[in-house]
Amino acid sequence: MSARAAGPTDGESRTEARVSQRDRSPEADLGLLDATMIGMGAMIGAGIFVLTGLAAEIAGPAAILVFALNGVVTAFTGLSYAELAASIPKSGGGYAFVREVFADLPSFLMGWMLWFAYMIAGALYALGFAPNFLELLHVYGLVPPPEAVGAIALPVVDLALPAAFLLAFLAVLGLVSLNAVSTAASGSLETVFTIVKVSILVVFVAFGVASPMFSTAEFQPLFPEGGGALAILPAMGLTFIAFEGYDLITTVTEEVENPRENIPKAIFVSLAATVVVYLAVVTVAVGTLGAQGLAEAGEAGIAQAATSFMPTGIPIIQNGGAIIVFGAVFSTLTALNAVVIASSRVAFSMGREGQLLPSFGQIHHRYGTPFVAIVASAVVMLGSVVLPTQSAGNMSSLFFLLSFIVVNGSVIKLRRERPDMNRPYEMPFYPAPPIIGIVLNLVLTVVLIEFLVRTDPLALALSAAWIGLGVVSYLALNHLRTDPDAAEGTAAGDEQVPLEDD
Amino acid sequence: MVSKLDVIVAGGGRVGFETATILDDRGHDVTVVERDQERADAVSDQYVATVVTGDASNPEILEQAGVEDADAIAGLTGQAGLNLAVCMEAKEIAPGIRTVARIDTRAKESYTRFVDTVLFPELAGARNAANEIIGSDVETLADVTGTLDIMQIRVAEGAPAAGRKLSEVRFPAGTLVVSDDDGNRIARPETTLDAGKRYVVAVEPDVADEVMNLMRG
Repeated sequence: MSARAAGPTDGESRTEARVSQRDRSPEADLGLLDATMIGMGAMIGAGIFVLTGLAAEIAGPAAILVFALNGVVTAFTGLSYAELAASIPKSGGGYAFVREVFADLPSFLMGWMLWFAYMIAGALYALGFAPNFLELLHVYGLVPPPEAVGAIALPVVDLALPAAFLLAFLAVLGLVSLNAVSTAASGSLETVFTIVKVSILVVFVAFGVASPMFSTAEFQPLFPEGGGALAILPAMGLTFIAFEGYDLITTVTEEVENPRENIPKAIFVSLAATVVVYLAVVTVAVGTLGAQGLAEAGEAGIAQAATSFMPTGIPIIQNGGAIIVFGAVFSTLTALNAVVIASSRVAFSMGREGQLLPSFGQIHHRYGTPFVAIVASAVVMLGSVVLPTQSAGNMSSLFFLLSFIVVNGSVIKLRRERPDMNRPYEMPFYPAPPIIGIVLNLVLTVVLIEFLVRTDPLALALSAAWIGLGVVSYLALNHLRTDPDAAEGTAAGDEQVPLEDD
Repeated sequence: MVSKLDVIVAGGGRVGFETATILDDRGHDVTVVERDQERADAVSDQYVATVVTGDASNPEILEQAGVEDADAIAGLTGQAGLNLAVCMEAKEIAPGIRTVARIDTRAKESYTRFVDTVLFPELAGARNAANEIIGSDVETLADVTGTLDIMQIRVAEGAPAAGRKLSEVRFPAGTLVVSDDDGNRIARPETTLDAGKRYVVAVEPDVADEVMNLMRG
C-alpha cells in the first residue's frame, strides 16, 4: 500500500531530461493465479511424461513415493527461493540471486551449472518428445510402433539415423530458430498451456481410475525385489528434474502484483498442486500398466498406459488414448520451448554481468533477441540429443541439485552477512529449512553420483568435463579482461561455445 | 566496458527513490539504504532495488549494501553533511568508487574536493518551476511530455547498434531516434549510429533497457 505519488522530478542527471514515472513497471499485472500457472506449467511438462517409465524401471511401484518425496525435498529449496526473490528485485532467477551474494568464481560456476542444467533438460525434453510423437502417429496407423521405426536414411550425407534422434534434433532446431529471430514464442500463453496440460492429465486420471484395468494389486510389493526401500533414492535423483521449474516464477517477479505476498504463495501453491497431480498420474499409470509395463514403455510410459485403457471409437480422434499422447507431445514441446528461453536467459545474464563474453549479453540489432546466447545454448542442446534419455535426465537432475544447494547456501550467507537487508518475506523456522534443504539435496547428489559411477560413467564424465571447461573459460575470460588489447578481435564468441559433446 | 553498474543509493526518500527507479529502468543494479523501517518497507514493495535498513553513515551498513564491489554511490538524503560523510566513507573503503553527493547550496566548488560530483536537486526543481511560471517559450522537453524519456545517448564502442544505419537496427516499438549525431539534424533512415557520437532518443520507459543495450552494449 505504498503507491506513492511521485512528485516532479527533482533530480537532475547529466545526460538526459526525464519526467517522473508513477509506478515501478506499467505491466505489474500478473496475479497469484498467473504466477502459480507459470510455476506449474514449467514443472508439469516433460518430467512426468518422460520420466515415469524410467522411475518405474528403477523403483518399481515405489515410483509413487519417489515423486512424493522429491516434492518434499524441493519444498525446502522453495522457501529459500521465496525469501531471495522477495528481497532481491532481479528477474534473473537463481543465477541473479547467487551473483548478489557470492564472489566471482562461485557465482560464475552457479550460472555455468544452471545454464547446463537447462540445456540438458532441453535435450531431455526433445528426447521425450520424439517417441511420444511417433506414438501419436502410430495411434493413427501412420507409422509402425515406435520401437519398430527403424533408421531413416539420409541420402545427402549417406548416413542412416534413428528416426527418434532425428525428430529430437529437428524439434530443438525448430524452437531455437524461432526463439533466435523472434520474441513472440516467449509469450503470454503460459496459463492456457498449463490449463491444457493439467486438463489432459485429469482426463487420464479419471479414465484410469474408472478403468477395469486399474488394480491396487499392482502396488504389491511396493519396493522392487532385492533393492529394498533404498532403491528409490537413485530414482529420486533421476526424476528430481520433474520439480524443476517453480524457480521460473522468480524470473517474472517484477511483473507480479504485490510480489512479497504473491511470490512465496505462488511457489508453494504450484509445488503442492504439482505434487497432487503427479501422485494421481503415477498411481494410475502403475495401477493400470504395472511397474513392469511402464518400465518397458520407457519415455512413452504414460502414453502407452493411456492407449491401453482409454475408450476407442470416439468420433474424429478415434482412440481416446490419442488425447493423452497428444498431451505428452504438447507438454514436451512447450517445456522444450521454456528451457530454450530459460537457458539463453542465464547465458544472457552472465554476459551482462561480464561473466561470459560481452556478446552473450547483447541483444541482436535486427532480431531483438539475445542471439548469441541462444545460438550458444542451441549448440550444446543439439550436441546433447545424441545422449540416451536416462543420461540426459541424470545430468540435468545432477546440476539442478547442485545449483539448489548453492541457492540454499545463499540464504544462509546473506542472513549472516547482511542482517539488515530488508526481507519482505522471511522464511519460518530459519535456519532449519535451508540446512535441511542442503542436506537432502546433498544426499540425493551423492546417491546420484554413486549411481552414475555404477551405471552411466559417460554422463558423469561429461558433467565433470563441463565443470572443468567452466573453470578454464573463467580463467581465460579473466585473462582476456586484464589484457584488453587481446580482448575483442580474437575472442569472436566461439571460444565460449562448448563443444565437448560429440 | 561493463554497461551494467552496481549502484548504492543512500536515502530512500523522494530523490533517492526516484533515482533508484530510473536506474533500475535502465537495467542497473541498485541497493537503497534507508534509515526509516516504514519507508524501507515501502521502497521494498516497489521492487526496484534491494533495500538495507540502517544508517548509511554506519560503515557496517555500507558494507552490507555491498560498497566494496559497487561502481558508484550516491548520497541522496536530505542532509548534505550526511551525504558527504557517506561518500567519503565509501571512498575510504573502496577507492575506485564514483561518489555523488546531494548538497543544499549552489556553491558546488567547495565540495568537489571530497566527492566526484555534487548535485543540487532543488536548483533543477526551481528551473522547472521558473519555466512553468514564465510559460511556453522556454520549456524544456521534459515538461511537455507525459512519461516518455527524452535522452541524449552516446553510442558506445562495440555496442550492437554501433556503426550501423538506422534502417538496419530494429529498435523496440516505442523508440524514436530524434537527432542526427551531435544534434544538428533530424535523424533519417540512412543516419549512421557512430560510436562516440551523441543522439537524442525518445523512448517509452519500459523499453529503455533494450535501447540502452543496443546503443550502449
